Amino acid sequence: MSAATVHETISEETVRQISDELGEPEWLLETRLDALDALDSVEMPDVIRTPGRDWTNLDALDYEGFVDPLNAAEEKDQVGPEEAEVLPISEAVSEREDLLKEHFGSVIDPEENYLTALSTALFSTGTVIYVPKNVDAEDVTIRTTQHSQSLFNYTLVITEQSSSVTILERQDTGDDIEGERYYSGLVEVSAGENSHVQYGSLQDLDEETYNYTLKRGNTDDYATINWIEGNIGSRLTKSSVETNLDGEGSETKTVGAFFGHNDQHFDVAARVWHNTEHTTADLVTRGVLDDEARSVYEGVQDVGRDAWDTSSYQRENTLMLSDESEADASPKLIINNHDTEASHSATVGQIDDEEMFYMTSRGLDDETARNMLVEGFFVPVFEEIEVEEFSEDLESKIQARLR
Amino acid sequence: MSSDQDHLKETDTEERFEFKKEERAAVKSDKGLTEEVVRLISEDKDEPEWMLDRRLRALEHYQNMPMPTDWPGQPDLTELDVEEIVPYIRPDVEKREGADSWDDLPEEIQDTFEKLGIPEAERKALSGVGAQYESEVVYQNMQEQWEEKGVVFCNMDEAVQEHEELVKEYFMTSCVPPSDNKFAALHGAVWSGGSFVYVPEDVTVEMPVQAYFRMNSEGMGQFEHTLIIAEESSEVHYIEGCSAPKYGSHNLHSGGVEVFVGEDAHVQYSTVQNWSKNTFNLNTKRALVEKGGRMEWVSGSMGSKATMLYPCSILKGRGASANQISIAFAGEGQNIDTGAKVYHNAPHTNSTIESKSISKDGGRTNYRGLVHISEGAEHSSTSVECDALMFDNESTSDTMPYMEIDESKVDVAHEATVGKIGDEDVFYLQSRGLDDDDAKQMIVSGFIEPITEELPIEYAVELNRLIELEMEGSLG
Repeated sequence: MSAATVHETISEETVRQISDELGEPEWLLETRLDALDALDSVEMPDVIRTPGRDWTNLDALDYEGFVDPLNAAEEKDQVGPEEAEVLPISEAVSEREDLLKEHFGSVIDPEENYLTALSTALFSTGTVIYVPKNVDAEDVTIRTTQHSQSLFNYTLVITEQSSSVTILERQDTGDDIEGERYYSGLVEVSAGENSHVQYGSLQDLDEETYNYTLKRGNTDDYATINWIEGNIGSRLTKSSVETNLDGEGSETKTVGAFFGHNDQHFDVAARVWHNTEHTTADLVTRGVLDDEARSVYEGVQDVGRDAWDTSSYQRENTLMLSDESEADASPKLIINNHDTEASHSATVGQIDDEEMFYMTSRGLDDETARNMLVEGFFVPVFEEIEVEEFSEDLESKIQARLR
Repeated sequence: MSSDQDHLKETDTEERFEFKKEERAAVKSDKGLTEEVVRLISEDKDEPEWMLDRRLRALEHYQNMPMPTDWPGQPDLTELDVEEIVPYIRPDVEKREGADSWDDLPEEIQDTFEKLGIPEAERKALSGVGAQYESEVVYQNMQEQWEEKGVVFCNMDEAVQEHEELVKEYFMTSCVPPSDNKFAALHGAVWSGGSFVYVPEDVTVEMPVQAYFRMNSEGMGQFEHTLIIAEESSEVHYIEGCSAPKYGSHNLHSGGVEVFVGEDAHVQYSTVQNWSKNTFNLNTKRALVEKGGRMEWVSGSMGSKATMLYPCSILKGRGASANQISIAFAGEGQNIDTGAKVYHNAPHTNSTIESKSISKDGGRTNYRGLVHISEGAEHSSTSVECDALMFDNESTSDTMPYMEIDESKVDVAHEATVGKIGDEDVFYLQSRGLDDDDAKQMIVSGFIEPITEELPIEYAVELNRLIELEMEGSLG
């Protein structure tokens, strides 16, 4: 795969202007410029390939057409309780430069692939969330409404020892724009010893928007990072949610849900690396596809040489509502330590005729019965979500789509 | 293999598999792969023009195709130098016209097979034994009753001459074209020997048809081709066994298997392979299954330095089905990358894949599979199960399943588990008086039972014996 050509909206001048407007320190500008240079040499993110086929073709996207960083426009709510710091990126560069300097790019290498480099060079909005030692912070909310052609967002979460935080992020689109849009979001989470992070994300961009998100967290000893990843909107989503279990006894749970219709394309991945002893991971994803929607799921459980006493579980289920839809799944297990209890499973199926018959024979019409069964399909996912507000949101979005 | 080589040399199981015949060859082509080599092979076999054309076309594909290098986690093929491997050796053994019993074979070859342990008592019961010594099938026997019914079992070279029309129609055309992959192309250019099986309509061959292959010259490749044609409502079980002794330089085995399963026919293809630890085993095996037909693959992969093998079933007709059971064992320095491919191209097609792997002493096993359900293949179902057993922390075991589903009215399930041999299980058996090795051996035998119970007794015995050999002196 070769990287797309760099074009005029992606120039040194643009990068310097964005950095200047945010009042960034020199080192961050340098990081951006390095990422800009890297665009010539780095590859697109990996996609699943089987002989003769790439399951998502990121090279085909018209970056030239929708990258317009200087006209970025959005509405953003960034609120949190007093005891935690929730700062827009423009404030963070001046007030918490120390934190940024220490953590920026420490979890996700800005030059990891073409799209991370693009996002690093051009991000103009974002949030830094800092939770001090022993603080329990609930209800941090980040709501982003994109009004412009393109928007590059950066989020950094740092939790100190024995703290906890719950973050709910939502993306949607506002003003109508001529042509296609692009939303890119990078999220880095550094979970300190014995801290607990819940990071929920609910994406409902309009269906003219291409969406790339990479969320990755590193855990210290006994830390937990739980992700919730809901994908409803966008024309094409390439989303990865990843955890490096670096600390002994650390844990992660990833709960994913997607619902595709029309010609939406979801390429979702859940990945976990067990890098040390006594770590636990649980990956649960469920998706529904209607019309001509297409989903590609990759789950990776990588158990490293030093990961003694690992527990790692993965399940993925897809429900297909139409003959024109298509689903691909690849749950991968990579085991380099035999002291492991691991399993993974994936299923693809359709609504059960008998269940339909049961419901319709009780007097429900076909559509109502089908909708109830789809909602029922997502129940195991709702049950895994510990944040009530998030389940309710997701549920209402799913119901809205079924109407 | 365990590091305890000396101990192994004293065991007679080792002795049974590791012996080396002095190489005696009548025709030996130059090293490397050129048009001359291909022409020499074809000429020596006195082949018709069309077969030479096919070989040359395959050679062209081979030269134009890249090595597979970009698969995630694939075995390292850099040490494989095809140019160094002699593609063709014909053993200096007189083929006697009408050799129709085992005893008529040259003593040297009898001895080879004796050591591999095709038991005397079993031989008489076999409906046919084709044995490939070097690249030539030197012995085939088919009991008269099958001949009367029109069943053909002969070596592939003979089939080109005697059953030209059938071979011309089916050989590397619709099933495994040489353009499929680089090693299928290589195979198409230099193939030699192998078995041809033809079962006419409504005939059931009750006895398994068997063939044994063996590589016995240092630095030579083996490219046998198996072609099985089962006409409507027929039934046949073909068994291939392979083993090779150890040598210093790298060997290449790149076989091709094509199976045509006619309407309502049933074919089972079983193989137990034990290649020496320096063999690159890169095969292409595929079955085309017509309406209501059933294909079963049963395979045990042992030995080799690297194996890449993904038997494929293409379910073409309504109600066709495929079952696959495989066991892979990887010891020190081995990378066994195997799996399955199934294409569901018609409604009401079913497939099941059951894969078991054992890795030990730093060996690596990987399940790599693809299940594709095409649009319109409604009411199809597939279920994939992978279980891995690991002995120690130097070993690795991966699972990389891919599923492509274009049809909603289907039922798809994939599951995998990985575990180590449980200390509790070993303790239980030890407390009943078994020593550590025997206990582990017993657990492994239980683990692979789904495979062994599918095999005729002598193969099950051989597979268990091979595993025993691998397990000896294991430190777990």
